[in-house]
Amino acid sequence: MLERGWFNKMTELLKLVEDLTGLSGPSGSEEKIRSFIRKEAEAYGDELFVDALGNLIVVKRNPDGKKILLAAHMDEIGLMVTFIEENGFLRFSPVGGVNNEILSGTKVIFDNGTAGIIGREKLKEKETAGINRFYIDIGAKSKDEALERVKIGETATFYPSFHHMGPRVTAKSLDNRAGCALLLQVLKNLPASLPNEVYFVFTAQEEVGLRGARTVSYRLNPDYALAVDVTRTGDTPEPEFKMDLALGKGPAIKIKDSSVICHPTVVQRMIRAAERINVPFQLEVLERGGTDAGSIHLSREGVPSGALSIPCRYIHTPGEMVDLNDIEGGFSLLVELLKDKW
Amino acid sequence: MNLHSFLQEISQKDGVSGYEDALGSFLAGAFSPLVDEVKKDNLGNCFFYKRGRGEDPPRVMLCAHMDEIGLMVTMMDEKGFLKFTSLGGFDPRTLPGQEVTLYGREPVYGLIGFKPAHLQKEKEKGKAVKMEDLFIDTGLPKEELREKVPVGTVAAIRRNFLSLQGECRAGKALDDRAGVAVLWQCATELARLRHRAEVFMVASVQEEVGTRGAVVSTFGIAPDLGIAIDVCHGSFPGAAEHEVSPLGKGPVITYGPNIHPRIAEKLHETAREYQLPVQKDFSPGPTGTDARAIQVSLEGVPAGLLSIPLRYMHTSVELLDLEDIRSAGRLLAYFIADLSRSFVEGLSCF
Repeated sequence: MLERGWFNKMTELLKLVEDLTGLSGPSGSEEKIRSFIRKEAEAYGDELFVDALGNLIVVKRNPDGKKILLAAHMDEIGLMVTFIEENGFLRFSPVGGVNNEILSGTKVIFDNGTAGIIGREKLKEKETAGINRFYIDIGAKSKDEALERVKIGETATFYPSFHHMGPRVTAKSLDNRAGCALLLQVLKNLPASLPNEVYFVFTAQEEVGLRGARTVSYRLNPDYALAVDVTRTGDTPEPEFKMDLALGKGPAIKIKDSSVICHPTVVQRMIRAAERINVPFQLEVLERGGTDAGSIHLSREGVPSGALSIPCRYIHTPGEMVDLNDIEGGFSLLVELLKDKW
Repeated sequence: MNLHSFLQEISQKDGVSGYEDALGSFLAGAFSPLVDEVKKDNLGNCFFYKRGRGEDPPRVMLCAHMDEIGLMVTMMDEKGFLKFTSLGGFDPRTLPGQEVTLYGREPVYGLIGFKPAHLQKEKEKGKAVKMEDLFIDTGLPKEELREKVPVGTVAAIRRNFLSLQGECRAGKALDDRAGVAVLWQCATELARLRHRAEVFMVASVQEEVGTRGAVVSTFGIAPDLGIAIDVCHGSFPGAAEHEVSPLGKGPVITYGPNIHPRIAEKLHETAREYQLPVQKDFSPGPTGTDARAIQVSLEGVPAGLLSIPLRYMHTSVELLDLEDIRSAGRLLAYFIADLSRSFVEGLSCF
């Protein structure tokens, strides 16, 4: 059963997650999602700007405090058109880690609103399908007709698919719009003055190699950094990766993934903050996968970094799933962490 | 302290990638009498700095990684055994029967068990074991274990340092504590030499997970040239001759695209001049050492690589010859003593 008042607390968050997952922003083409986040954030920081790679930076100034960078990537994986067949079918390459297994029958959408369905050629027995065996059908009868709607080099994303059932939400691109929602909520609900200078960064091109975070951390040169992103869970039947992490048991404090071994002092600070306000949390050891902290901590002379993760099932599919309570817990943890003098 | 006892001391200390803090503090103490300044950076890299004499001294970086490969707890099963993943590259076949120290809320000893041959099913016999089938056994009851050893606890392999015949020594983490010992030997030699160059010796962190410490330490130092000191495969029965170097025949100077040819040549010339034994090796790509990161830092840093031959890499019985470490330390000291501004400037003249 849900707690009384849960809906009041969650309505705003739910709406934000729905809006954020309703927009597309494949790596390198983050215009739409960036302008939405920009509008949401505008009223709250002391300064807001966009850099050359398209990272959106919102600053809460405090020249006397330590500089803390919070990074949530706003890009999502996508499918880039590489070739158009004479009969109007589109061939494509993955942008980021696309899982071929879930492509057949998946609905996608291009920036200009053109939608399509992914089909697959017949496979030989025991053949596993490479990406070149799939195509997008946008209903065009010929190459010329297809070219009127889509150009080579344009990128489609999964079709918006938001749905919520109690505290659990499923949608495309919860990786990492869930993190963007968390960061926006923190930005909107911080006390007027903080003991630290905080940079809220909505990064570009995480899915293709943590690229936006690399340049933005070089520019901002922070003392500490935290990535806010999603992580896998091990709570489904015969999970692909066994791990001690579940939906709804609280946000995860990352210990390590393939891209970063989180700095022990940052991890301890996060654990202490969670314990101070009694927020349940989990500890994350992710064997495969990375996050923005991976490039941030290697910036310049090194940046002690950590990550706050939102447990998420079915990552990189059209139906990712998170529990809003975990976002809410992450929100409380992060606010407490920022009230702390670093 | 002599080389043997220094290497023994640092081999038996633990410093798994990402968790080098205590080891770094020990090294800071050990190096401080030999150098002018000791510093730790944001990620825990330890810098041991020696001033040069004269104006406009060349800046030389020597880099040996202090981290060792290790294990990390991923979950506890329903009976109180711990599943784990690795930090750095372990061959799972080398793990059964090893003892570990788990750095939980307090240190806890454990060992890695294995299903006895008697109980193995037909299809399991003769098969290489996978990491996911291994587990750490601490003997602690479940509730106590959960309290003391949470998910994310790091574990180091336990192994006493062994003195074998002559100058042969074996133990865990000699990849790359051998390199740290080379730095120590070099610092000792430099104390009685005059050198123009400023020397930044670095005990770097997180090499085993992707030369991460060297990425940031090179940026911080901005050296004119950087030499990584690491280990390479020593020869043993069954190894192809072209893939290994014999022990006791001196450190190995690497050539290849990762290495500035004039640094390798100068190391060679220095060895000839001081009659120190050295061997040669050729590496066609970016080497799997800190030299890889050093070379592509900043505007590009001319890189060198000197390696100590070592058998059984990434096991707990890594074996080497102390004399190779001594020769390497001396070679680097003489190399540094002879470094001039004009040599360093020549590195960017092609």
